[in-house]
Amino acid sequence: MEQTTLESIQFNEEIQGIMAPASETANSFTALLELPPTQVVELLHSPEITGKPPKPYPLTCDTGNLTFPSNTTARFSVLAGENKNSPEVKDEVPETEGGGCVSDPTIENKKSKGAKRKEREKKVKVSSKKIKSIGDENSGNGGDELPYVHVRVRRGQATDSHSLAERARREKINARMKLLQELVPGCNKISGTALVLDKIINHVQSLQHEVEILSMKLAAVNPIIDSNLESILATEGLSLMDSNFPATVAPVVWPETPHNGNRQQFQLPWQSDAFHQPLWGRGENNPNFMTPENSLLSYDSSANSDKDWS
Amino acid sequence: MRNLSSLKKEFLRKWIKGLRKYNSQKKNMNLLERKKAIKLSADLAMASTKDKTTLWRKALFANTSTKIDDEQDMSTTSSTPQKKVIRKNSTNSYPLRKRITGRRKILRRNHTKERVEASFIAMRLVKKRTRKLKSLLPGGKFMDDSCLVDETLDYIESLKAQVEVMRCLVTSSELFINQP
Repeated sequence: MEQTTLESIQFNEEIQGIMAPASETANSFTALLELPPTQVVELLHSPEITGKPPKPYPLTCDTGNLTFPSNTTARFSVLAGENKNSPEVKDEVPETEGGGCVSDPTIENKKSKGAKRKEREKKVKVSSKKIKSIGDENSGNGGDELPYVHVRVRRGQATDSHSLAERARREKINARMKLLQELVPGCNKISGTALVLDKIINHVQSLQHEVEILSMKLAAVNPIIDSNLESILATEGLSLMDSNFPATVAPVVWPETPHNGNRQQFQLPWQSDAFHQPLWGRGENNPNFMTPENSLLSYDSSANSDKDWS
Repeated sequence: MRNLSSLKKEFLRKWIKGLRKYNSQKKNMNLLERKKAIKLSADLAMASTKDKTTLWRKALFANTSTKIDDEQDMSTTSSTPQKKVIRKNSTNSYPLRKRITGRRKILRRNHTKERVEASFIAMRLVKKRTRKLKSLLPGGKFMDDSCLVDETLDYIESLKAQVEVMRCLVTSSELFINQP
């Protein structure tokens, strides 16, 4: 028992350390949403690794001193309190439930499960409306360390741990979906998961097709570039670091090799000086593309083998 | 944006290495073979960026390793049927888990009670789309919903970077050809 509590404390310390900077408002995911999407992805990846909070609900209930299996809200904190420091938790419990809860654990122990559930639901309904949130947001809880996610229930909603866990999971998914919406252009105004998913699917498909098309283009160009790949790519690497290039040349029509009947032998002078100029003068050279393309290459293997490129 | 440009840099570096190796191997390659080689090396480079062990990256590695093995076996046949065979082999040789999708279809057929309420219709639509998305992502079959959304985020980001780098390369090579 002690070992599990120690582990759960360490576990929770990690969660606290990650959740505290990320969530200053009540809802941690909305705070995350203020950040730009890429950063949020980074942030999201780290909590994922360290914390899987919803699972401990049933587990710790069994190991605790108390016997009620599934319980709501402040009861979770009561459980945690029972495991380590009861006075801290008892301070916190009256805040949320409006008093009278301190004696509850002992009373509940004696009741049967069916009666427990009724009592719980009553208490939820009687108590004031609570804000649903994931994360630790009790005001008097500066250094309080709870081993699991603190989830509050709205008035009139089911209070099983199962539905709570499900709701937590759904909220998580919805938060990620919002991030996705921001990443994919054109999704922001659409409401409704199915349509958003549609757009996301289209986006992924279009990106994949683009990769295919671009690799085909590169394959067409490649034999000529082979021997001086290094120098081109070195300068290419430099220029990539500097700026984002506008995709003005992307819609350039690349002639398909079968329709290009020319089988000219190309002898391009390999001069490293010539490389630097085109790279920097990129924007100006766009109109020159169409004319030389017709006299371009046939990427036949026989043509390649005649040349001295290595 | 900082993430994107560093991602691009990393991707480019690794891709250059892969391309060089591939070029040195075979000289008389058909257009389609070359395209496959480029795409393979680009995918591998993409998958190895950022040091994150996301599912789709692992799946990409698994897929490409099967493709390379098959390619080495069938080097004599022509490229287009080879491609199809390789693709079939790569999908069939995925030994990891049971075919969940097949079972789901069978259940659908025997499902007599079709509920017409709005929520169920919405759920069905969403499920259809998630299935489609899973088919798109590499390794998507084995992800649950929350994982799926995370993975698509990552995948879209890296696909964007890949597309931008390739575009730059294409434009620079075009310019290079046209210049002298």
